[in-house]
Amino acid sequence: MAVIEAAELVKEFSRPAVLEGRLPRLRALFSTKRDINRAVNGVNFEVEPGELVGYLGPNGAGKSTTIKMLTGILTPTSGVCRVAGLEPSRDRARNARNIGVVFGQRTQLWYDLPLRDSFEVLADLYNLDRTTYRNRVGLFTELLDLSDFLDTPVRSLSLGQRMRGDLVAAMLHEPSILFLDEPTVGLDVVAKARLTEFIAETNRSAGTTVVLTTHDMEDVERLCHRIIVIDSGTVLYDGDLSRLKERFMPYRFLVLTLAERSIRRVADIPFATEVETSAVGTVLPYPDRSVVLRFDPREITTPELIARASQVYQVDELSIVDPRLTDVISQLYDGLLT
Amino acid sequence: MSTAEQVRAFRGMTRAGTRSVLIYRGDLITGAVTLVIQVVLAIAVWRIVYSGRGPVDGVDARTAVAYAAIAACLQSVLLPWQFSSLPMRIRNGQIATDLTRPLGLIWQVFGQNLGVLLGRLPLGAFGLAAAAVLGALTLPPGWAAGLLSLVATVGGVLVAMLCNLIVSMVTFWTFEVGGPLIVYRFGSAFLSGSLIPLWFMPGWLRASVEWLPFQAQVYTPVSIYLGQTRGGQALALVGVQLVWVVLLTGLLELVWRRARYRVVVQGG
Repeated sequence: MAVIEAAELVKEFSRPAVLEGRLPRLRALFSTKRDINRAVNGVNFEVEPGELVGYLGPNGAGKSTTIKMLTGILTPTSGVCRVAGLEPSRDRARNARNIGVVFGQRTQLWYDLPLRDSFEVLADLYNLDRTTYRNRVGLFTELLDLSDFLDTPVRSLSLGQRMRGDLVAAMLHEPSILFLDEPTVGLDVVAKARLTEFIAETNRSAGTTVVLTTHDMEDVERLCHRIIVIDSGTVLYDGDLSRLKERFMPYRFLVLTLAERSIRRVADIPFATEVETSAVGTVLPYPDRSVVLRFDPREITTPELIARASQVYQVDELSIVDPRLTDVISQLYDGLLT
Repeated sequence: MSTAEQVRAFRGMTRAGTRSVLIYRGDLITGAVTLVIQVVLAIAVWRIVYSGRGPVDGVDARTAVAYAAIAACLQSVLLPWQFSSLPMRIRNGQIATDLTRPLGLIWQVFGQNLGVLLGRLPLGAFGLAAAAVLGALTLPPGWAAGLLSLVATVGGVLVAMLCNLIVSMVTFWTFEVGGPLIVYRFGSAFLSGSLIPLWFMPGWLRASVEWLPFQAQVYTPVSIYLGQTRGGQALALVGVQLVWVVLLTGLLELVWRRARYRVVVQGG
């Protein structure tokens, strides 16, 4: 049975209307007109226990709003969401025991206190006994390498350290469901790698269900099998990562490195188009000797294309490159669907 | 969540509150020095006001001076709550993380506030010590009055906490509560009797103050302690505190129930 369900979930925000005409700001003080903004507009999805789902979308798509409804922070305007059988906004405290939440943009740690103190307060909040608490903090300290800054006040931690602290804070009570809202935002490559590895491991070994929002497609490719893409408050895509690529960027790239002295000829290969080398997205070792051909495997098989290309070009090296998720997603965002 | 679990969670919040006060030693020392100066000045001013005069409105010099000193100490321990962190947390969206905890928001804030109060107790002790050194402290008229004034202090703290929280909750609607809070802070400092004892207020003002929750915060405990309000009258004042606690709890529940549906988290 699904552990997270969202059915026709809607959230509207209203704010004082911006007026036009004379003295708009002054008149706004006395106006009761309000603008309504639908941040989430009928979202449906289900997540099975143990899944690791990427919840993606451009800024303002409604990702965080959805997460906030699932964590009980916001009350849906209409529709239903259930997390482990509970309605989060009605059963906030009980829901809180089942879930762990990390908001990359803010911290749940006590800003003035040493990191360790925050963990102690959380042990009280979640009623952990002494031994369990000590074991878990010990384990996390080892896994995430916290020992150097356990006694440093949170306000003096670096962003990477603080995020690790926040992750532990979210997992100290061993929740069966984790909501991670942009947990890697602003982190350097090393810190990010460590964090994603930890998340993957938690999902694998403890079977923790994870819902992850991020703008970082590397995170997604490294972690998620399934992704849900939303924009303007509605789900655009829900399914396999690989199938997303097939559907929205069906083509692949054949990258040819030409022999030193070969004369470049204008390509005339059916079912393949020469494109800018930058389209591949990775840095090519010899950009001035490279030719990139875009093709759709459904129109021409890879060996056939290679055979034809070798007739036209004198090739030193060749490789096949898949489109990057970033490009797929930006295609999606750009409204390829509409 | 069982009651024992809730109590433990509440204690956790209290501990966090106390620690976050005690960790800033410099701030505490400054606070203590400020309070000592305030107490010394208040004592000096009231002594000059009373010099060469007998009791005014039935209040003698010793009582007036002691009142000023004790009220200043009580107020300085309570004062920080007038700016509880709740409005700020609502404004910058930090409230989101509070709402993902297994303890209700109101209990979290109360726990935190109580912790801050406990952390600031040493500060009040410094003020009282200064008053004692200057010979301005008097003892309560008897055991019963002393005990009752202790009960009234707890009552006053509860009323102050509730008032403060209700005012802070306005932020859920307005996002900016600086104005109302300043008015509230000044109003409560004046109307609770911590600046000027209520005995010296004109009759019409006194009568209206009696209908407000502020006098329960400072005036009630201090006047009982000093024996200025005694016997049945003192019990009645404590009864009024109780009524306020019940009324304000009801109001808070009402406001919070509506606020829950208003929660809008700022940013990201």
